[in-house]
Amino acid sequence: MPESRSIPPRAWLFAALILATALVLFIGPALFDRFTLNVLTRSMIYAMLAVTVDILWGYTGVLTFGQAAFFGTGAYASAMVLSHLGATPALLALALLLAIIVPVLLGALVGWLSFGHGSTPLYATVISLVVPIVVTQLVFSGGVWTGSSSGLVGYSGLPLGLSGYFRLTGICLILTTAIALVFTRSDAGKLLVAIRDNEARCAYLGLDPQRLKIVLTTILAGVAGIAGFLYANASGVVAPENTGFVFGTEIVIWTALGGRGTIIGPVMGAIGIDYLSAQLSGDLPFLWNLVVGALFVVMIILLPNGLAQLARMVLPRRDREQVSQAGSPALAAEPPGNGAESGNRVLSVSGLGKSFGSLQVLQGIDLEVRPGELVSLVGPNGAGKTTLMRCLSDGTEATTGSVSIAGQDIRGMTPDEIVALGVGRKFQVASVFDSLAVADCLRMARASRKAPSLLHRSLTLGLPEAAADILRSTGLDQMLGRPVSLLSHGQKQSLELAMVVALEPKLILLDEPTAGLTKVERTTIGATLQKLTGELGFAAILVEHDLDFVRDISTRIVVLHQGRLVLDGSVGDVVNSEVVRTIYSGGAHA
Amino acid sequence: MTLLLDMVTTAAILFIVAGGLLAIFGVLKIINFAHGAWLTIGAYCAVATAGLGLNPWAALPIAFAVGAILGGVTELVIVRPLYRRPLDAILATWGLGIVIGQLITLWFGRDVQFTPNLLSGTVDVLGVSYSLYRLFAVAAALVIGLAFTFLLEGTRLGLSAQAVIMNEMLARALGIDTARVRLATFMVGTGLAALAGVLLTPLTSVDPNMGVAWLIGSFMLVMVAGSSFSTLAIACLVFGSAQVLVSTFVSPILGGITVAVLCALVLRISPKGFARA
Repeated sequence: MPESRSIPPRAWLFAALILATALVLFIGPALFDRFTLNVLTRSMIYAMLAVTVDILWGYTGVLTFGQAAFFGTGAYASAMVLSHLGATPALLALALLLAIIVPVLLGALVGWLSFGHGSTPLYATVISLVVPIVVTQLVFSGGVWTGSSSGLVGYSGLPLGLSGYFRLTGICLILTTAIALVFTRSDAGKLLVAIRDNEARCAYLGLDPQRLKIVLTTILAGVAGIAGFLYANASGVVAPENTGFVFGTEIVIWTALGGRGTIIGPVMGAIGIDYLSAQLSGDLPFLWNLVVGALFVVMIILLPNGLAQLARMVLPRRDREQVSQAGSPALAAEPPGNGAESGNRVLSVSGLGKSFGSLQVLQGIDLEVRPGELVSLVGPNGAGKTTLMRCLSDGTEATTGSVSIAGQDIRGMTPDEIVALGVGRKFQVASVFDSLAVADCLRMARASRKAPSLLHRSLTLGLPEAAADILRSTGLDQMLGRPVSLLSHGQKQSLELAMVVALEPKLILLDEPTAGLTKVERTTIGATLQKLTGELGFAAILVEHDLDFVRDISTRIVVLHQGRLVLDGSVGDVVNSEVVRTIYSGGAHA
Repeated sequence: MTLLLDMVTTAAILFIVAGGLLAIFGVLKIINFAHGAWLTIGAYCAVATAGLGLNPWAALPIAFAVGAILGGVTELVIVRPLYRRPLDAILATWGLGIVIGQLITLWFGRDVQFTPNLLSGTVDVLGVSYSLYRLFAVAAALVIGLAFTFLLEGTRLGLSAQAVIMNEMLARALGIDTARVRLATFMVGTGLAALAGVLLTPLTSVDPNMGVAWLIGSFMLVMVAGSSFSTLAIACLVFGSAQVLVSTFVSPILGGITVAVLCALVLRISPKGFARA
């Protein structure tokens, strides 16, 4: 049985689809007239662009209008070589090369501009609007080199006829689609969804989402450039409109109508709409655009996931359930990484201060934590506990004083770099990836240690023993294939803890890990923490309100009050101290 | 001297055009990508007013009313479900812009229309003769800016709008009908956009796609300005002047992208734009 299950029914469906397309490509030139062949060739090129937009927007969540600019630069680079230099085989190769390199360079620049540390998704969209406009204006001001407003025409390209271009384009489209399908379903493809769901969590798992997005933008710019090369050859004309922002919005419309995040949907959307536009625009030009526009608005509001969502609702659900069953991976033990060397300080903080404007939230904090210690950080609301945790895990926070992790000062370091030093942070509100399955979330935690496969979807889940223990003790090991959105609050908290532990950090920061949990769940987490620190040599800092819980599990307690560290001592010292009693009963102000 | 006047008047025109977009973005945190379509609607209101033989100045109140009413319908039907999905709101309003553009084309045809001048002729300013209408634009910008400041600072609606900007949940908990504030804001914003459309008619040709050209520039200015009219005024002056300078001394084509490029760079360096200052 397992043998037959390893190929899910959808794979067969896609294989059949690809075969059918190949058949159409083969016999198409005999069936269609010149006009249809021309239009379909163009539509298929556009479909390649729709695939790139789908990967960026549908999977990664970056709404972009910029693919038009990369497409246009590719097309213009080719057309300029072909019309000014000629179309010998060597020059054709040069044209193709430039059609890839120029957009790739532009893509890298755009990516660098769009995705800095702390830039918003809206900003990336803004940049993607500006780029096509700039490129279009450059084309306009290019004089004879770019043909200005009339574009370039009358050059010769690849020595292919109408049907040759039709087939070449079709093959390129099939390749693009197939690669995109394999990639988005691979382990690495899940990373895109993880970034879309929760970028902060990605960073705190030691991944660099901004860099990944820059790489993605760069590569997809190259793909758009190849599409531009095909277009410049097949159509024999390039015009400023090919690079424009309006064209960029059209690609997004096809993607949205076809169904974002499905690859196949946008391909169908692009071909269907562009083909119908060409057929109908002769008779009812304005009415057709009106219909597409209206349909688009309705879809965005009512069916954000496009026609593919509708198809999924109509099709039987049986095969999806089977997939999720078959996709439930087996746990595998992973050899432990370098354990913490005991004795050395994991964390050392001296004179740390932080203020928001004139409000001094933290001042003069000195703290040291050694391997195996479980330090609890207590204090009333507003004492600065969460701020302190943030200062320990994000070096870009403006602070005074110094924080060093394993002997290295973290000033200016981004969260993912600090994770690499060995810090894992668990947030107050469970921060996981809602669109992924439990096992995929855990894989993300391992992705910074071992790059995930671009091709395969693993059938096993390799985790360090400590993380696997958490799964076993909470029953999550039986739910590895289940979508995170179906987990309970407590299960999400445990999952996040397991993810953080799977990083094998030297120091774990936990911000109220037991908030909102039942008594049983608390006890489980408490036992887990004791084991991690006592037996396995992790260090942990725990922010907690429940003093009984703190007393049971901590090796040391630190009291924070009004931004100052007022007590640092053993459990007995702190719990019985006068200071703690007055702070918690409010007597300090009297 | 002409250069200086060009800078000021260009800034004024940018301010008029971007004002409606800012009103909506500032309060609702939604980018109305149909803004260009509302500029077009306003311009065609001027065309229709002229067609009916009315005084060209009558187009201003008519356009404001038409823009606001259509904006109200839009808010209720299209924008309301999308407040939680701001990127989708950009797309839906862009789609709406396409629809409006096509409807106008079906109604009026795709040809360029002409409207009677609101003010013609030139006037002498310190020895230089300058277009009277462009100077009028400065006055119009000032009036719009002041009117809006009054609306925000001096009326109950403005106060509620400020509350919504600062903390929507709290505003609702205090019994402010946030849905109504949003509706009113959207209507004011779209009304203002249509008004701007009328004011643009003497400066540009009127055709169904005229709004798109203005959309990106005003969008970028609003991103830089954040949610305040005074920062928008500063942004318009700075980037408008830059545009005039680049157009005059480098190339008019590059002048057209100056605003967008400079705004993008400013946002890269300081993600909050001018709002921090």
